Amino acid sequence: MEKYLDFVTIDFWEIIFTWVNLLILFLLMKKILFKPIKNILEQRENEVNSMYSDAENAKNSAESMEKEYTRKLADAKNEANEIVKNATRTAELRSEEIIRTAQEQATNIKEKANKDIERDKINAINEAKKDISEIAVSIAEKVIEKDINEKDYDRLIENFINEMGDSE
Amino acid sequence: MNIEVNGPKIYYEIPILGGIKITESIVNMWFVMAVTVAVCIWLTRNLSVKNPSKKQIVAEKLYLMLYNLVKDVMGEKYIKFVPYIGSLFTMSILGSLSSLFGLRAYTADFSVTLGWALMTFIMIQANKIKHKGVWGYIKSFAEPVAFLTPLNLVSEIANPISMAFRHFGNIASGVVITSLIYGALASLSKTVLGFIPNDFISQIPIFQVGLPAILSIYFDLFTSFLQAYIISMLTMVYVSGAE
Repeated sequence: MEKYLDFVTIDFWEIIFTWVNLLILFLLMKKILFKPIKNILEQRENEVNSMYSDAENAKNSAESMEKEYTRKLADAKNEANEIVKNATRTAELRSEEIIRTAQEQATNIKEKANKDIERDKINAINEAKKDISEIAVSIAEKVIEKDINEKDYDRLIENFINEMGDSE
Repeated sequence: MNIEVNGPKIYYEIPILGGIKITESIVNMWFVMAVTVAVCIWLTRNLSVKNPSKKQIVAEKLYLMLYNLVKDVMGEKYIKFVPYIGSLFTMSILGSLSSLFGLRAYTADFSVTLGWALMTFIMIQANKIKHKGVWGYIKSFAEPVAFLTPLNLVSEIANPISMAFRHFGNIASGVVITSLIYGALASLSKTVLGFIPNDFISQIPIFQVGLPAILSIYFDLFTSFLQAYIISMLTMVYVSGAE
């Protein structure tokens, strides 16, 4: 014969069992369902927060780097301008110096050439005088075909040369 | 024919302390607990922060729904009640729904619902004492005027009783009505098919197919959910309101 409780009844031990069962389920669910999910959600939240702060930091550092680079670029431009200016000035000075030196050298060369020409001219005249006197003597010998004395000879030459020098 | 509507079956009686009865309700409760724990273990296996699986998304969604409900109803400082409310709700709804699997719903057992209601009652009193102190708690029954003390006491004690009877009554009425309808449909089938001389065919309860299923949508699904929601909600409101 199966026994039943009454349809509406209060059974003390059943209430106790209900409490114990609810407590056990509460503890189990807390441990195996609520805690792990809560942890996962917290981890995810932390991760998202750290991602945001990382992004913020990265943005800040990028901005500061950009400022620094802009400043450095401007500095570099100024420096380059300075260098170009300096180089131009140096080049100008140098070219002026080169030109001056060249002019001096040219002047020197010209002077030296003039002196050489002068000397060569004198030499050539002397040479020519000598040659002419010899030619004159030999012509005279041929013309006269006789020996003139030393005295006449010298006088004749002198006269000749002087005449030639005048006609020059 | 006779229709019997019984309380829970007594499986075994431990013959100590005046007889501890192991009833159908308690055994069904253990069964529900085992299923719940198994589902919880399955849901929380391989949890990951990134790329959560579909079941993890479902578990998280359910958790957040409960979390937000408790936060909205009870407030931030009672957020530790989330697991208790969760387990109470689970216990209640699965207990009622277990009738769909042919078990006797243990929420149709007054001792069970009274147990839960008494739990809430104890929490309410504990929370009052915590906030007002013992003397303040005793004094609070004489407010706003002293002669209302009996009325205050009655209303305080009526709380758990009404909670217990509300839950019990809704589910138990479903059980009763379902039994009545099955009985009625069986005798209707018998009347309609009674002219068939074959004993076997005339016993087929054809009218039991279909109609009880439609009724069970209301009595089992809807009422089960509603009562689980109500007992959880009332627990939250009463406990957090007892300051």
